[in-house]
Amino acid sequence: MTPRRIVFAVLIMALCIGALPLSAQDEGVTMTMWVRNIGDQVQELVDAWNDRGGSQIELTVIPPAEFVTKMGAAIAAGESPDIASIDLIYAPAFAAAGQLLDITDWVDALPYADDLIPAHSELGTYQGRKYAVPFLIEGSFIIYNKGLFEAAGLDPEVPPSTWDELLEAARAISAIDDETYGYYFAGACAGCNAFTYLPFIWASGGDVLSDDYNEATIATDPIVREALEFYRLMWEEGLIPESASIDDGSSFVSAFGTGTIGMAGTGAFGINTYRNDHPELNLGAFHIPGQDGGAASFGGGDVIAIGSGTQHPEEAWEFLEWMMSDETQLELYAARNRTTVRVSMLENEYSAGDDLVLTAASALAVGHSPYSLVYNDLFNDPNGPWLEMIQIAILDGDIDGALQLGQDRFTQIMSG
Amino acid sequence: MTFPNFSFSWEQRRKLTGMLFVAPTVLFVAIFFIIPLAMTLFMSFHDWPLIGEQAWIGTSNYTELAKDRQYLKSLDFTFRYTLLVTPPIFILGFILASLVRHNIRFIGVFRTIFFLPVVIGLGVSSLLWVWMLDQRVGIFNKILLDLHLIQKPQLFLAKPTTAMNVIILSVVWKTVGFTMILLLAGLQSIPDELYESADVDGAGYFRKLFYITLPLMRRTIALALILSVIGSVLAFDQFYIITRGGPRNSTISIVYWIFNNSFTYWKMGYGAAISIVLLGILVTLSSIQYYVLRERY
Repeated sequence: MTPRRIVFAVLIMALCIGALPLSAQDEGVTMTMWVRNIGDQVQELVDAWNDRGGSQIELTVIPPAEFVTKMGAAIAAGESPDIASIDLIYAPAFAAAGQLLDITDWVDALPYADDLIPAHSELGTYQGRKYAVPFLIEGSFIIYNKGLFEAAGLDPEVPPSTWDELLEAARAISAIDDETYGYYFAGACAGCNAFTYLPFIWASGGDVLSDDYNEATIATDPIVREALEFYRLMWEEGLIPESASIDDGSSFVSAFGTGTIGMAGTGAFGINTYRNDHPELNLGAFHIPGQDGGAASFGGGDVIAIGSGTQHPEEAWEFLEWMMSDETQLELYAARNRTTVRVSMLENEYSAGDDLVLTAASALAVGHSPYSLVYNDLFNDPNGPWLEMIQIAILDGDIDGALQLGQDRFTQIMSG
Repeated sequence: MTFPNFSFSWEQRRKLTGMLFVAPTVLFVAIFFIIPLAMTLFMSFHDWPLIGEQAWIGTSNYTELAKDRQYLKSLDFTFRYTLLVTPPIFILGFILASLVRHNIRFIGVFRTIFFLPVVIGLGVSSLLWVWMLDQRVGIFNKILLDLHLIQKPQLFLAKPTTAMNVIILSVVWKTVGFTMILLLAGLQSIPDELYESADVDGAGYFRKLFYITLPLMRRTIALALILSVIGSVLAFDQFYIITRGGPRNSTISIVYWIFNNSFTYWKMGYGAAISIVLLGILVTLSSIQYYVLRERY
């Protein structure tokens, strides 16, 4: 190209780039929305909203382990999204940093303001002001394969209710053949194990954090050690496939779908995936049991918030309001096996008689959600202490070392 | 009364032209190196969260380093990795350069094949290796199984040593072509007459290698070594993409730790402090290499 042509080409490009925002404005408002990648329900929801005409939403899906990193970097660069679906655990940190729009007045004006799922509403509140509303309701529970229960000589209608029963069931299923395993967990996924493993500890009356979330109790609470020994035993006996040790979460949902796994922790997001992709599986669900009975669940999922830098707060709120409305909750949540964001709608015409959906909904009643500004650094960081502790204890068998490491690094992170 | 003479002398014009020629480079270096470096130094004395208010905290970030176990572990890991990955790159690079040295038929094809991995982005090649190492669909397990060298698919990334080995393999594959090209240029600059007279004197292959080839390639080797060591000390992509720092956080390189602190833990100031320390380490390392491999005659 001659120099003159290059100059010309650059000019044309500059004109095109300059014209982009103009043409977008002419076609109405387009908002950006971010969500971490857990299933396809959000895309369906956004498609339904876009099909209505009016303001449009452009969805960006972020790998779950990267969400805080990417969101933080985007905010620092002044490019945060208009709408963000945030793991409820992180909502306080983003609200504290002043990155979410205060929507207290709008939320309080809703006729069903008091009907929103309490755990999510609490985490969406910071210093008495509301910054986020419930969006994805995910209480963890255990899904099980009734076909394998039957093949192993277990009663498919009576799922385990203690650690010992779970262990026995896993042993029986693993004994079917070399390709079949009793249990599954994603051994290289930090967040997956906060979601599905912590409840084993909670259900037995233990915890890894003190009640005020200011101290680590990993080395002092005997239940933590016993919970690690429980998983270690299943690992040692080969009741869990070896490939679980390198699963960074990418097979967290799909492993159970192969039909060779007896039991695995999951959330409401798993129900639709398994039913659509693996209709041949006969599924059951039960709450995550404590050592001698009892049950617990990780009250997880996402809250949805409006970025404080948005140019379109009204349009963004319209979407949030539409999402929480009776019709959307019934036709786009309940009808698709999802847990509703409204307490009074948890039991509805679609969930009647559906064990899986009802288990997912009732898990919320035994749900815990840790409230910590350093939650990501403690639990969800792929290089954080929670995952390293689990790997050293369960995969390597060094439980003493793991407890000490967990206690030390938790304490170090919480002290700043 | 005389008027000042505004026309430049030839000498002055020459200087001005020279300055105009270096100006773009000076500007470039200032914008993309000096200013960011000064900012990094400035940030390293602050508590500088990714989001929120920053505060001056003096040298606290630096004193903190001594207590940071992962930082020490990462330094140790990075140097072990550099020590392990450099010799294979050099030996293989030298062998490849010797193989493609002479202009025979189709030599261009081989040079291109050996160089090809260099032009792939490191991120892309890392993803490629993730799939090649996979236990269900990966080519490595398929080959090893077909050759009956293993009984069941191996999880290469499950153990620290195998994870390290396969990453070294991937990096050697990725970068050896570049070292080959540098060494090839050095090899081809040695006059054939020297080898011919050595032949007349009855020197064997190794004599020629140690008394002609290597001494005359000193500069080229110095350049290739410094580039290679800097690249290894700054390694990040392969660990971030292939192992995610695992298993048991055993493959967190020093740049990975800077990234984690800055963007995952939102401690930009602390990340900046590690970067400054790393810069010091690299300058020292490069100076030592340059001194050892300097021209002595």
